[in-house]
Amino acid sequence: MALARYIGRKVAWTLVVFVVALLLNFLLPRLIPGNPVDTIVGQLAQGGGAGGEQLQQIHEQYMKEFGLDKPMWQQFFIYVGNVFQGDLGTSFAQYPASVNTLIAQALPWSIAIMLPAIIVGWIVGNLLGAVAAFKGGWLDRGAFIGSLFLSSVPPFALAIILLFLVAVKGGILPVGGAYSFGLTPEFSLAFFGDAITYWWLPFWSLVLVYIGGQAVGMRSMAIYELGSDYVNYNRGLGVKEGHTVRYIFRNAMLPQFTGLALSIAALITGGLITELVFSYPGLGSLLFAAIGQNDYPVISAITLLITIAVLIANLAADILTGFIDPRIRAVQSGER
Amino acid sequence: MGTLVNAENIRGVYYTEGKDVVAVNDVSIKIEEGEVLGLAGESGSGKTTLGSIISLIARPPLHVEEGTLEIDGQVQELGGHAKIPRTWRGAVVSMLPQGAMNSISPTKRIRQLVYDVMRSHESKISKEEALDRARERLTTLGLPARVLDAYPHQLSGGMKQRTVTIISTLLNPRLLVADEPTSALDVTSQKILIEMLLEMLEKRIMSGVIFVTHDLPVLRTAANRIAVMYQGKIVELGPTEIVVERPEHPYTQALMSSVLAPEPAYANTRIEGMSSFDRSLFDAPAVFH
Amino acid sequence: MSLRGLSPRFWVAAVLVAFVVLVGLIGPLIVSTNPDATVGGLYEEPRCCGPLILGADNEGQSVISNLVYGTRTSLIIGLVAGLIGTAIGLLVGLVAGYRGGWIDDVLSAIVNVGLAIPVLVIIILVSVSLPKRNLYTLALVIGFTAWFWVARAVRAQSSSIRTREHIDVAKLSGAGFWSILRRDVLPYLLSYVVMACILQISGAILFESTLSMLGLGASNTTSLGTMLYWAIQWGSVRTGAWWAFVPPTFMLTLIVFSLLLLQSSLNEVFNPRLRRGRAARKKAVKEGTELGTPIEAGDAGPVGTEGILESPVSAGRDR
Repeated sequence: MALARYIGRKVAWTLVVFVVALLLNFLLPRLIPGNPVDTIVGQLAQGGGAGGEQLQQIHEQYMKEFGLDKPMWQQFFIYVGNVFQGDLGTSFAQYPASVNTLIAQALPWSIAIMLPAIIVGWIVGNLLGAVAAFKGGWLDRGAFIGSLFLSSVPPFALAIILLFLVAVKGGILPVGGAYSFGLTPEFSLAFFGDAITYWWLPFWSLVLVYIGGQAVGMRSMAIYELGSDYVNYNRGLGVKEGHTVRYIFRNAMLPQFTGLALSIAALITGGLITELVFSYPGLGSLLFAAIGQNDYPVISAITLLITIAVLIANLAADILTGFIDPRIRAVQSGER
Repeated sequence: MGTLVNAENIRGVYYTEGKDVVAVNDVSIKIEEGEVLGLAGESGSGKTTLGSIISLIARPPLHVEEGTLEIDGQVQELGGHAKIPRTWRGAVVSMLPQGAMNSISPTKRIRQLVYDVMRSHESKISKEEALDRARERLTTLGLPARVLDAYPHQLSGGMKQRTVTIISTLLNPRLLVADEPTSALDVTSQKILIEMLLEMLEKRIMSGVIFVTHDLPVLRTAANRIAVMYQGKIVELGPTEIVVERPEHPYTQALMSSVLAPEPAYANTRIEGMSSFDRSLFDAPAVFH
Repeated sequence: MSLRGLSPRFWVAAVLVAFVVLVGLIGPLIVSTNPDATVGGLYEEPRCCGPLILGADNEGQSVISNLVYGTRTSLIIGLVAGLIGTAIGLLVGLVAGYRGGWIDDVLSAIVNVGLAIPVLVIIILVSVSLPKRNLYTLALVIGFTAWFWVARAVRAQSSSIRTREHIDVAKLSGAGFWSILRRDVLPYLLSYVVMACILQISGAILFESTLSMLGLGASNTTSLGTMLYWAIQWGSVRTGAWWAFVPPTFMLTLIVFSLLLLQSSLNEVFNPRLRRGRAARKKAVKEGTELGTPIEAGDAGPVGTEGILESPVSAGRDR
């Protein structure tokens, strides 16, 4: 019951933040002085990508889509309505392709490298940090300096170096892209076998950085817990170390959940740039292309997606913490 | 009644860079069967350090350089790199920590700790059996069995300290070293806890208690004998009444007068402290070098 | 805090940071080549002595010259954005934590919303909307966007300081709100603020390079990020022109690593509990005013310990 109320509050809070995010996504581009469609279509014309008639068409399309003749609040509701119907608009640069289509092509690739990297990095990093803290000595020192270094290397730096050493110099793995030229994405073993060779490098360059970050955090938490009263007491009672370790792990774990949620934005950011380095056809590359072409609907859709991913991760971490930590339920419900 | 514990020549040193600090300097002490021995002194006198050495939980930076602990004729070397069997802790000598607030992991139920303590010493014990024994112990001592299902934050301070006391003695240790067990409690809870400790002694759950505290009034009601520590040594040892009423050592006198100020006149008297005391103690090379 | 209390790690970090700052400060004076001048061919290989000691980039410009100027730019952006972010976070956190009440509620709500929305998202949205991007607008955008976690951390600390007795004393003696904040609350937070500022600076430098690589960098200045942008766009990695991308990558890594190392070594100085081994033993005695009683001395921890440990140690990467 108490837990349900706690989760309810967290969900409500997430919705509030989501509305603020929508507002930002809506408002910021409209802060540009002048009509955004004029500006953007003007830039399109300068780029010379589209002819006069086509430009006129795009212009009308956008005036209608933004509803720029209507008052601001009405525009906002149109925008929100569209978003909730899953309609992210039409791309400027690749007119008349819908943003939904572009995202649908890119998103699976991003998920394919980021999700496994985050999960594997989190698990391995926490194990490494905990073991380093327990064992101490040279293992600790080595693991700590190594992790600190990995976690403070900008993710793209590692990507660049790996790409150069392993793919360009070593020739062990393919240099860039997501699959060999001439293939089309399909659910077949042959395609999968080909794609995975392109997947390894971006995955490794992300996972190493994540492992470092998690290990550093976990080590500090575990060292902190090692000095706590209950560890001393357990020892005084002759409790086997194997049992006590579980206590420590559980307590040190709690901040790591929140930590993961808080750092998820940084992880995604790192992932986007890593895609760029490897020309991996995910959201990062799509964002890059959209920025280069001032393709505002695409940019805004991607930022919205990132926000949603981060919000969901935070909510999941909060709920998980609620299940693990009895104190949270107590504080929330006043149980005593 | 015979001697329960014989701790001899204990020397505990904090190893630090540059200089070592001797916290317990060649102390020997005996605890009789069935007695509560009070260990008094101000902070820094070495009483907690001595307590942690006897309860076998000394760890760096504290190093035991010398010392033996004899219980029931079994002699355990404490000094140097002596290997102390894990099973001694909790089963032969147990500890009751200061401020039980954080002594139980906040994310575990009490029963988990109880089970882990039991199975660390009896590897074959089932969870049911362990909990049954704990339940029985709790009810014998007047605590509700449902504390086993609680998380530590759900218990009040007094209740938590009593629960921890019972967990500390689940394995019927011969000696219980209690480090300031009453300091964090209000007067009523203090009284209940001390009564419980005495009852446990009577029931032979444990056979002796070392009660470490700076709180002399508490010792007066709880202890049979009091040992007063000062700068790593025991400076006075005797039956409670004598140590409290007619302390011989100037330090004990100072300690007593600082606690028991029965008359208003004393309120304005500055404690003379160590004026009559041998100044050379301050230069004690073992302590400040 | 005496110099002896500082770990070797601190000194390593300090030397590295000093080196980076020297490169940014003095480098442009020594390397006289104009970073925008064409001095060689497309990705011309490094050769000894002169503007081409690190080769040429995709436009035939000197890499070494771009490197030192880029380091300077990145440092300026980091410093400006870091100081702005720390200042805003400090102010908001102090006021919220010390004032309490509805002001705290409102400010905390804003901070929590700000923390939940990824900073990069806001920065991208703002940068895209900017008609012109130069070094300082970038720094301002980053500074004004990335301060939420500082505010939250400072708030936690200052609200715990609020309940201390010396604050009551100050109030009774008639000290005003700002005077108490400045003289009775802020000093307890200083160590924390210094560490937060270091993290802000390194974060801002990373943000700058990220934005630049996405094509949102300053249009008229060379930074380490824009160097990487060009290097990647013009295929220097693929063609093996390592001199175009290794120097900026190395420099960025060095800057961020040394700043984080500095922060973590300072954290150990301020939070003795995070240490272990020899350093911990040394500290135990230095701080224990009494003889060997680390076990008894658990009550009065130094100010600041609580809050820092409260927030995840990985706070620096929380964005």
